[in-house]
Amino acid sequence: MSIFTPTNQIRLTNVAVVRMKKGGKRFEIACYKNKVMSWRSGAEKDLDEVLQTHSVFVNVSKGQVAKKDDLTKAFGTDDLTEICKQILAKGELQVSDKERQTQLETMFRDIATIVAEKCVNPETKRPYTVSLIERAMKDIHYSVKPNKSTKQQALEVIRQLKESMEIQRAHMRLRLVLPAKEAKRLKEKLKPLLQVVESEDFDEELEMVCLVDPGCFREIDELIRCETRGRGSLEVLSLKDVEEGDEKL
Amino acid sequence: MGHTSLEKIISLQRNPANIRNLCILAHVDHGKTTLADCLVASNGIISSRLAGKLRYLDSREDEQLRGITMKSSAISLHYSHGDQEYLLNLIDSPGHVDFSSEVSTAVRLCDGAVVVVDAVEGVCPQTQVVLRQAWLENIRPVLVINKIDRLVVELKLTSQEAYTHLKKILEQVNAVTGTLFTSKVLEERAGKEEEEKEGEKSSGDQVYDWSAGLEEVDDSHLYFSPDQGNVVFASAIDGWGFSIRHFAHIYSERMGIKEEVLLKTLWGDFYLSMKAKRIMKGAQVTQLGGLFVFTFFSLSPRPGRIQPHVGIKQEARPSDPASADLICLTLRCNVGRVVCLDFVLLLKQLAVCLTLFLHSWCFPAFLQCSSEEDAPVIVFVSKMFAVDAKALPQHRQRPLTQEEIAERREQARRRHADRMAAESHREPSHSESPEEEEEAKETFVAFARVYSGVVRKGQRVFVLGPKYDPAQSLSTVSPPLGCSASDDVSEIPHLSRCSMENLYLLMGRELEELQEVPAGNVLGIGGLEEFVLKSATLSTSPACPPFTPLNFEATPIVRVAIEPKHPSEMPKLVRGMRLLNQADPCAEVLIQETGEHVLVTAGEVHLQRCLDDLRERFAKIEISASEPIIPFRETVVRPPKVDMVNEELGKQQKVAIIHQVKEASQGRSSDTLHLDSSGLVTLTTPNRLATVGVRAIPLPQEATRLLESSSEVIRTLEQVNMSLREGKSLDISVRSLEAISDLKAQLESLLQGRKWRNAVERIWAFGPRRYGPNILLNSVEGYQRPSVWQCLSRGDKASEATALRDFDNSVVSGFQLAALSGPMCEEPLMGVCFSVERWDVQSAAPPQRQDSVEEDSTRHEATPESNVEGSSETSARVEGAAAGQSHARRRPEVAASSDCYGPVSGQLIAAVKEACRHAFQAQPQRLMAAMYTCEIMATADVLGRVYGVLGKREGRVLHEEMKEGTDMFTIKAVLPVAESFGFADEIRKRTSGLASPQLVFSHWEVISSDPYWVPTTEEEYLHFGEKADSENQALKYMNAVRRRKGLYVEEKIVEHAEKQRTLGKNK
Repeated sequence: MSIFTPTNQIRLTNVAVVRMKKGGKRFEIACYKNKVMSWRSGAEKDLDEVLQTHSVFVNVSKGQVAKKDDLTKAFGTDDLTEICKQILAKGELQVSDKERQTQLETMFRDIATIVAEKCVNPETKRPYTVSLIERAMKDIHYSVKPNKSTKQQALEVIRQLKESMEIQRAHMRLRLVLPAKEAKRLKEKLKPLLQVVESEDFDEELEMVCLVDPGCFREIDELIRCETRGRGSLEVLSLKDVEEGDEKL
Repeated sequence: MGHTSLEKIISLQRNPANIRNLCILAHVDHGKTTLADCLVASNGIISSRLAGKLRYLDSREDEQLRGITMKSSAISLHYSHGDQEYLLNLIDSPGHVDFSSEVSTAVRLCDGAVVVVDAVEGVCPQTQVVLRQAWLENIRPVLVINKIDRLVVELKLTSQEAYTHLKKILEQVNAVTGTLFTSKVLEERAGKEEEEKEGEKSSGDQVYDWSAGLEEVDDSHLYFSPDQGNVVFASAIDGWGFSIRHFAHIYSERMGIKEEVLLKTLWGDFYLSMKAKRIMKGAQVTQLGGLFVFTFFSLSPRPGRIQPHVGIKQEARPSDPASADLICLTLRCNVGRVVCLDFVLLLKQLAVCLTLFLHSWCFPAFLQCSSEEDAPVIVFVSKMFAVDAKALPQHRQRPLTQEEIAERREQARRRHADRMAAESHREPSHSESPEEEEEAKETFVAFARVYSGVVRKGQRVFVLGPKYDPAQSLSTVSPPLGCSASDDVSEIPHLSRCSMENLYLLMGRELEELQEVPAGNVLGIGGLEEFVLKSATLSTSPACPPFTPLNFEATPIVRVAIEPKHPSEMPKLVRGMRLLNQADPCAEVLIQETGEHVLVTAGEVHLQRCLDDLRERFAKIEISASEPIIPFRETVVRPPKVDMVNEELGKQQKVAIIHQVKEASQGRSSDTLHLDSSGLVTLTTPNRLATVGVRAIPLPQEATRLLESSSEVIRTLEQVNMSLREGKSLDISVRSLEAISDLKAQLESLLQGRKWRNAVERIWAFGPRRYGPNILLNSVEGYQRPSVWQCLSRGDKASEATALRDFDNSVVSGFQLAALSGPMCEEPLMGVCFSVERWDVQSAAPPQRQDSVEEDSTRHEATPESNVEGSSETSARVEGAAAGQSHARRRPEVAASSDCYGPVSGQLIAAVKEACRHAFQAQPQRLMAAMYTCEIMATADVLGRVYGVLGKREGRVLHEEMKEGTDMFTIKAVLPVAESFGFADEIRKRTSGLASPQLVFSHWEVISSDPYWVPTTEEEYLHFGEKADSENQALKYMNAVRRRKGLYVEEKIVEHAEKQRTLGKNK
């Protein structure tokens, strides 16, 4: 056992340790920082660019190499490279700074892209650009949660952005056909869910074209289906009501 | 000369014969504003000591800072020559190429131009441009050769050398004029020949007879020559200048030679024989011109510098005592007077040149430039410029006498009341907010000239847009000329009414209020901002034809996307951009479909100015400008026959591609996905009930182009189909029916061959958004669905027999989603045909299969198609939602069949979409780039550099040709939009401004390199190495888009593991 004094203490720099428990034993391999994720995603194809050495350790910082018997027992092979690949693929590791940074950045962009796709400026009915959303997200100090899906977070972001800027989910344009009998009663119930009623046509049936918030769609759908027992119908005219084409000021 | 009072100027304005409107034009830094300073100083507005340093007409802060003029500004000056008094309306224009639009606006209002040329630099690119502009607007130029002192101080030329040098410059300028002249003559002749071919008698030009060609046309009057009196030599910074006339005068006194003779001989190959006291021809050594030049050089103390103002101060230390008195005599007149004089002599008749723009039948008053009370008013507004409201005379403070103060107070009170009243009238239309008030600080003043009549304050006039046609309005309004500007004219296009609320005399940075302005003057008009966008014609008569719009030398080409720093300030930005659009003749602003606010400017300097304006004047918010988003398209191509090193390919390439796709699809449930070697992808929904087989086929290029150009037709087609499906009948015009059948026929002719047999009939849908350039093809055996062309065969009962299968709509929706965002970088697809070859639904509810055909026709009336249109959502959530809605309309047993995977229709949408994406990936994929066509005008000597810049930016030259009669080449090239950022700037820099490009979007082009390409064959390994790290254009674009969108980019975070910083951060 070595004695750790400040002079002979060796710091492991540029080393990322990947650990894996198998067969009741803990195995570690020494890798370069910021490389393991690239290997896992397939961007890095050269194993030597990932592994510091092809040996498997019990404890990397102490320099204790795993015994051959333990390896064969746990992995069924003594081919060190093969074992290293297995550990690389399945082991757990501390994500390095740059890896985390790129991951968060990518997620941040992704969220902004989703928000920009779903939302419009209510005044002009035109979408905001991704970079503008990104800036707005930074302004409200939104922090990305790496373990939540980007779509969930995007919906959260939209809610928060509404407080600081003019933003709105792009409306869906729906056509509702309601049987005459239930039309009046249903309409009252639907009213709070509809944003804008564009046209209303009441002869045998009540036919309405309206804009709704996409979040309310399921509710409306449910309501019409249950209340009319399949006689009323709902039709999506467009998923996103946005201005098309370029406009000159 | 003392300060000229306002009253004096007003009185001068009444005599159009003595009004001279002139502008100063030159290359950047040749001394326009300095010259203008001299002229301003001659009126005592600024001290003559400060002339040249103050740059009085550069009133903007950034103009002073950068030392270049950025806008044209006008000033009215008084000048007396002999017993005549003249009014000079002087317009100083910018010389930088980015602001040549300002030059156009200035030139239009003038009758004469002062073209300034640097004596050392000679003719520069912008000099050529302004000469051309002056030529096009048909105004008379006078040449000022400026900075004469540099010849001595910097170049140290002797007088003889200087004379030759000046002669050379003159020749250069005349060469440019000559080129303009010849090209015009040749054009005219070409036009004439064409006309003659058509057998028509051409009226031709009234002034000249061009028909016989170049040699018979007299062009001598066009050229600059000192003996014609249209050349002035000057050093504006020192404030002196003279033309040959002055010397002729002096010499004639001294030598007793007639002034006229001297005028002709002082410049040229003549010498003075002292013995004979005669002027002889053919001098070689001491020409008179040399003597002439020598005279003014002798001003300088021998060793070197010309002292500023030495001439005017009369006390030069002339080295040649004999000529001392001459010089003193000569130089008493400063440069301002000399230039003025030349103008007074040259422009005998005002406004004659502008007859081109108006039909003379209409207004004799116009030609006479009449200021009669009853003459109709004609005013041309060439630009709108923004003025800080504080600078307006109404708001300015000035020392006044007691009575005046009292009077003013009364007036002010009245005016205030008026304004309040006006505002209270306006209030309903404007929402009252503090922002509104803030904005009101910028007022727009129109930069205009009166051509006829007398403009009065508060007068009501018609505003005629450039497209206004008097004939049209005359037919609607009767009686034609009796119609006054107070009538209602709302129904006539391009015509509106307004009143001129304020009239201003433009005095550089200051404005003086006027009550009325007679014809022939340049003036500012306030209160037009709501009626005039950039330029317009104002008249009291609707019978007046409008002036032709300005011809700009530079078109806006530099595009940037603009965003506010704080997203909540978006409305302010939009308002600011609107104002900018009005204030700048050459800036364009637009909002794109992506939501980007794009500003298009003429160049980088212009852009900088526009951004400054937005920040400080119009929007007053922090903004940022960035590269605009560049769109791409994704497509597939036929498998290539040769590899990257031009070797014949066998089967291996295909295998490699398929291998690659298989790799990509690993990790997905590969038991539901099957890919066969011919590119057919079969995908089963997660509940194992439905299976679709899709194959992607590249469409021929022409077919894609056809589909793209006829998107309008397809949209109508789609609308018709929609309404047909709903059981309604929509009336469509015969013309659109024709268009549809045309489209069908064209498509049929383009899609030929075994593969496309009967394809047009089998088209299922177009996409994305139902009108895009991609096709969904129905190749399912035994599925006869109504054709998309059914509107053509209406009434044909045969179509009734075929009907839609259940979930037909889900398939279309899946296709639309797939076509909207491709697998490469989520950009729309283009030119891809997805052929559905298999579609099985093993439903738990058997009646939904093909045998439900009979009842389908009835049911579908009740359950119209769902329409997933205009969607860019690819999320499963929305698919679920879409699924939900179609699901809702199914019969109960269908609803019952939904399981843990969600409704069947939703699953089918997802399945079709995925199948399309995989089918797409099974083919060789390519990126398509938007292309600009780029037209470049360049002189022969910079041709090579133009090619260099084009090559560097992946441009491709289509053709080049020489313009007849000139040494200009016109090059036509295509350039990817992605490479165009900074292109204009680079090409200008590299060619020192001699080439000016124009970019127009033209088409989409497939980038030939494969973004996923890796070396596969032996030869490719040899040529490119294992990593293939030579730059792949398509990959570069693709990754840029993916990175922008936050998609996964296959890229290493750190390239070399060992080269990382190995120490801890605190070490």
